[in-house]
Amino acid sequence: MNLIVTALFAVEDPSQTHNWLLPETAEIIYGGLASTIVFVGLYKFAGPMVKKSMKARTEKIQKELDGASSARSKSEVDAADIRRALGDIEAERKKILAEADTQAAAILVDGRARLVKEVAELEAKAVADLSAARGRSGEELRGEIARLSSAAISSAVAASLNDRAQQDLIEGFIKSVGASK
Amino acid sequence: MSDARIEAYSRALFEVAQAEGNLNIVEDELFRMARAIEANEKLRSTLTDATIPVARRQQVVEELLGGKASNTSIQLVSLIIGAGRGRELPAIVDRLVQRASSEQQREVAEVRSAVALSDDQTKRLAEALSKSTGRKLNLKVVVDPSILGGLVATVGDEVIDDTVRTRLEQLKTRI
Repeated sequence: MNLIVTALFAVEDPSQTHNWLLPETAEIIYGGLASTIVFVGLYKFAGPMVKKSMKARTEKIQKELDGASSARSKSEVDAADIRRALGDIEAERKKILAEADTQAAAILVDGRARLVKEVAELEAKAVADLSAARGRSGEELRGEIARLSSAAISSAVAASLNDRAQQDLIEGFIKSVGASK
Repeated sequence: MSDARIEAYSRALFEVAQAEGNLNIVEDELFRMARAIEANEKLRSTLTDATIPVARRQQVVEELLGGKASNTSIQLVSLIIGAGRGRELPAIVDRLVQRASSEQQREVAEVRSAVALSDDQTKRLAEALSKSTGRKLNLKVVVDPSILGGLVATVGDEVIDDTVRTRLEQLKTRI
């Protein structure tokens, strides 16, 4: 806007410059030289620095790319290891579960067999105990009856052994001994 | 006591009884005395107790046998007791009876009865046993109430047992 205004004023006042667009010739020359000097200086002195900086940046980026690539490779290796480990864990889990199932089945079979055996032994023992108790009771009863019978017989015999009976026994002995030859 | 000592004492008793002319009576009385000592624990311990004076033990013998045995038998038992051989008296007497029986070519037959036998029963029993065993016997009867009734005769190794006690034992065994 200012340039347009300035140009309008210049049109109105042509004495200030010979062209409303271009500066004075000397100014162009001095300006061109100064710009050239500045550009040459920049190229000569700032260029290497810029190049060096760009090169360093490039190396840094390359290094970062290499590091990223290395990290990726390492990550892939780790991922493979993890996948393999996961596979191993799964296999181990299946193996453990299978072994546990086998052991559980064996324990179950053993337990059943042991229980059957124990039940059979308990039954046999119960039968034997019952039989022994029955026999013992029978024996005790028979013994008691025998004892009482013996005592009763002894008492009855002793009571019946009067003089007559004693003499009969003696005479019977003499007779049987005398007849034995 | 050794066999030799028992033999010596029995021979001494035999000689004395024979010299006194009553061997049969003496050996019979001593046999009964020996069985009584065997059967009576108190009498046995009294006659063999060394703490009791010999005179007292001989007095016990005289009191027991006085009027029931011949003077010779009493003196012979007192002799054995006085010599401190009361414990061996049964063995000495048994040897004496054997000796006396041997002199008569007889064998000792010991008969146990619950009650005393009459002379007639003793005679018939001796004849029956002699007939049964085929040997001449010197019968010795011992009254033993523990057999309850009947008789048991022992001749050497042979035993003829027909006692009530044995029958009861057999009956108890069967029951």
